[in-house]
Amino acid sequence: MLKPTRTFKGGYSFKNYAGTALPIIVEAPIPPYTLIPLKQGFGTEIKPSVKKGDAVRAGQIIAKNDRTIASPIHSSVSGVVEDIKRMNYFKRDVAMVIIRTDNGSQEPLKLEGFSQEWGKLSSEKIEELIYLSGVSSLDREGIPTRFKTSIILPDDVKHLIIHGVGSEPYNISLDLLLEGKSLLHFFQGVQILKRIMPKAKVHLVINAHKRKIIEQITKLASHFEWLDIYPLEPKYPQGYDEMLVPTILNQRFPYGYSAANIGVVILNIQAVLEVYSAVVEGMPLIERIIALCGPCIKENIHLKVRVGSPLEHILSGRLRTETSLRIVLNSLLTGFELNDFSLPIDRTFSQIIAITENRQRQFLAFLRLGRRTDSYTRTFLSSWLNSLDKLPDTNLHGEERPCISCGYCEEVCPVSIIPHLLAKYVQRGFIDETIMNYGIFNCIECGLCSFVCPSKIHLMKILKTGQEKLIMQGCDRSQCILPFFDLKGIEEYRGVTKL
Amino acid sequence: MKFIKDTLDALNTKIGGSKALSKFKPVLTALDEFFFGTEKVAGVPHMVDRIDIKRFMTFVIIALIPATLAAIYSWGLRVVLVILISYVFGGLVEVAFAVVRKKEIHEGFLVTGLIFPLILPPGVPFWVVAVGVMFGVLFGKEVFGGTGRNIFNPAIVGRIFLTISFPNIMTMHWQQPFTKGLGGFIHYQNSIDAVTTATPLALFKNQGIVTSYIDLLFGRNPGCIGETFRIAIIVGGLFLVISRIIDWRIPLAYFASVAIFPFLSNHILHTKFAHGYFQILSGGLLLAAFFMATDPVTCPFTKAGRWIGGIMLGFLTVLIRSISGYVEGVMFSILLVNALAPLIDTCVLKVRYRKRKSLA
Repeated sequence: MLKPTRTFKGGYSFKNYAGTALPIIVEAPIPPYTLIPLKQGFGTEIKPSVKKGDAVRAGQIIAKNDRTIASPIHSSVSGVVEDIKRMNYFKRDVAMVIIRTDNGSQEPLKLEGFSQEWGKLSSEKIEELIYLSGVSSLDREGIPTRFKTSIILPDDVKHLIIHGVGSEPYNISLDLLLEGKSLLHFFQGVQILKRIMPKAKVHLVINAHKRKIIEQITKLASHFEWLDIYPLEPKYPQGYDEMLVPTILNQRFPYGYSAANIGVVILNIQAVLEVYSAVVEGMPLIERIIALCGPCIKENIHLKVRVGSPLEHILSGRLRTETSLRIVLNSLLTGFELNDFSLPIDRTFSQIIAITENRQRQFLAFLRLGRRTDSYTRTFLSSWLNSLDKLPDTNLHGEERPCISCGYCEEVCPVSIIPHLLAKYVQRGFIDETIMNYGIFNCIECGLCSFVCPSKIHLMKILKTGQEKLIMQGCDRSQCILPFFDLKGIEEYRGVTKL
Repeated sequence: MKFIKDTLDALNTKIGGSKALSKFKPVLTALDEFFFGTEKVAGVPHMVDRIDIKRFMTFVIIALIPATLAAIYSWGLRVVLVILISYVFGGLVEVAFAVVRKKEIHEGFLVTGLIFPLILPPGVPFWVVAVGVMFGVLFGKEVFGGTGRNIFNPAIVGRIFLTISFPNIMTMHWQQPFTKGLGGFIHYQNSIDAVTTATPLALFKNQGIVTSYIDLLFGRNPGCIGETFRIAIIVGGLFLVISRIIDWRIPLAYFASVAIFPFLSNHILHTKFAHGYFQILSGGLLLAAFFMATDPVTCPFTKAGRWIGGIMLGFLTVLIRSISGYVEGVMFSILLVNALAPLIDTCVLKVRYRKRKSLA
């Protein structure tokens, strides 16, 4: 059923950024070698079942552990295991299986027992297919199955939220993911998920500006009473779990814990499509669709790449190298900076964004009209003319100054805390229960406060150090959350992995 | 552009050589930052908003330009000199403190230096302007630790200091404004003979005369330099509200309470309490509501606190204007609300974050 649009307090809509990825998809060539991290997504690291010198096929499981919370990991190419070594991967020490591609067929091995008519499969078989394909490891909670793929079991899931809000400055294109046949596949995927989580109510969240898609989905979903469709304004950080739960379910979120703890599973559109291809087509999860965004990429398109492809293989020849660049993973506000191009992509990648590392000083910068600049205030022409694309760069555009309590950070804060007040407490060393009471642990690190600050104060970082100092004094997140929530699977909780 | 850069570089090398002169480095740094911006880059988030404090303050100044031009038209070219004096002497204090503290010069002063002359009477002697602005910047801002830490609005502190110290100069001499032709744009000052008429507020207080609203809007009455041509102030204020530089809550709460409060008491003391609309349109209320009460540093920072502060402002202004011996109550009420702002915020925070016993 189509629900009326709703939203949350705070946030900021990033509109019209230059270099949004067009709904075109190109298959990237098979890389000469791949590095496959043995920890993917939120799961634990698992031991490899292959050793140096083994020949592997594309789609073959190279690591699997049914006892911990993790999903199997596959070789994404056919070749020979060249080495298994530990590497620094996004500030974590992770073991990688390095596979050199050979001339064999790169067609992936299909899973056993998949079926076009999935309705005839038992739930157990479906769960097994989802588990063995590795799809169950996607997103922040994973897809619960009876194979310990999430901290809860499928029967514990009360709500399943599938979202394609796209609230970041750059997003993967919904038009591409849900075009033509894919939309039907997506719907099959949703039904499969409903089948394995029979007690769950399914909430489908779509960017409110994609009217055509919403119309099509509403038509297709008309006879599913367990399915609600919510068109939501793409206001950052609407796509965060912490915002989706209160907006859609009118329920408080246990900040800092996984949504699975309150029986909610949140998935992306791409994950649902992968569920379909695993169950109906028997495809293991060895490919990802990645949007190449930003003004410093020559062609803003989507790439279909094999998991484990090194970045240099994906990005070579696609970057504008006239100026120095900054390459960012997934989000311009919170994403990792990608410096080491020898590192591979994994299942958590969805956007790669390239913007100018702008160290150039600008003459009388503060007097510019700003036709292509973005600002929360309406002090630039861009707020009044929406015709031109906004050009992001990394320059601070101003000197650091003392806080003038303008209140912008409070206005945009999606979780209703007062960042500048907390930052003042932290900077003056008043670290005690007061700031915990003021909600410092509610911070979801969306980065909006740091973004809007006219004094260029790094509020998000200060709040984070405040949290760390508070934890050292024995005040913990759990003190603000546990008394108010009945959390499931808490003993297995290991912290949320930011994707 | 190249010329400025070269000059700054030359000056930099010059002062680098001598120990006494190198103390003035903050001045050069400020100029350098003013002209050329920054080369620093953001961490995470990887991009930041384009607004900075310079643009923030520039917008306040842009919003004051209509009122300033109107002031020059009404009172003559002498106003330009008054503004210059305010900038020069206020700037000296700011630079002196930056040099002593070895800190950078902050842009907040650019606004204080323009607002302060606008709230002085047109005939104010130059030395009074200099003394007032220096006192205001020194005791209103610098002694508290500079921009961002001050409790009181520096312009208001300076103005109140002058009102109390030199009541004769500050409250007795009011000129008639130019209203015809090119007016003040081609005159230095209205002839001294036109001195000592009464402001609309004084007229009401002493004789119960209510000036016409049209005259008030178009600045055909005596008053402070920048406060008489009220259309310009409204335009500037709305410009700031629309561009999100100031919070709309404070002016709205202020106007609403000024409009409603005298209405309630009007039936009992109609000779003392003027009509709400007259109160809003007379004196420095509009200028103060848009440009001084909204100073983010000195007003309450919580949203509820801003509503409360605005209502208190209106209440106090009407009370002081009507019952006290002073004709104008705007500046005292702002000073009082500035002093109360931390208390208001603390109370608001206490209510907002009272310990929750159970899940709401």
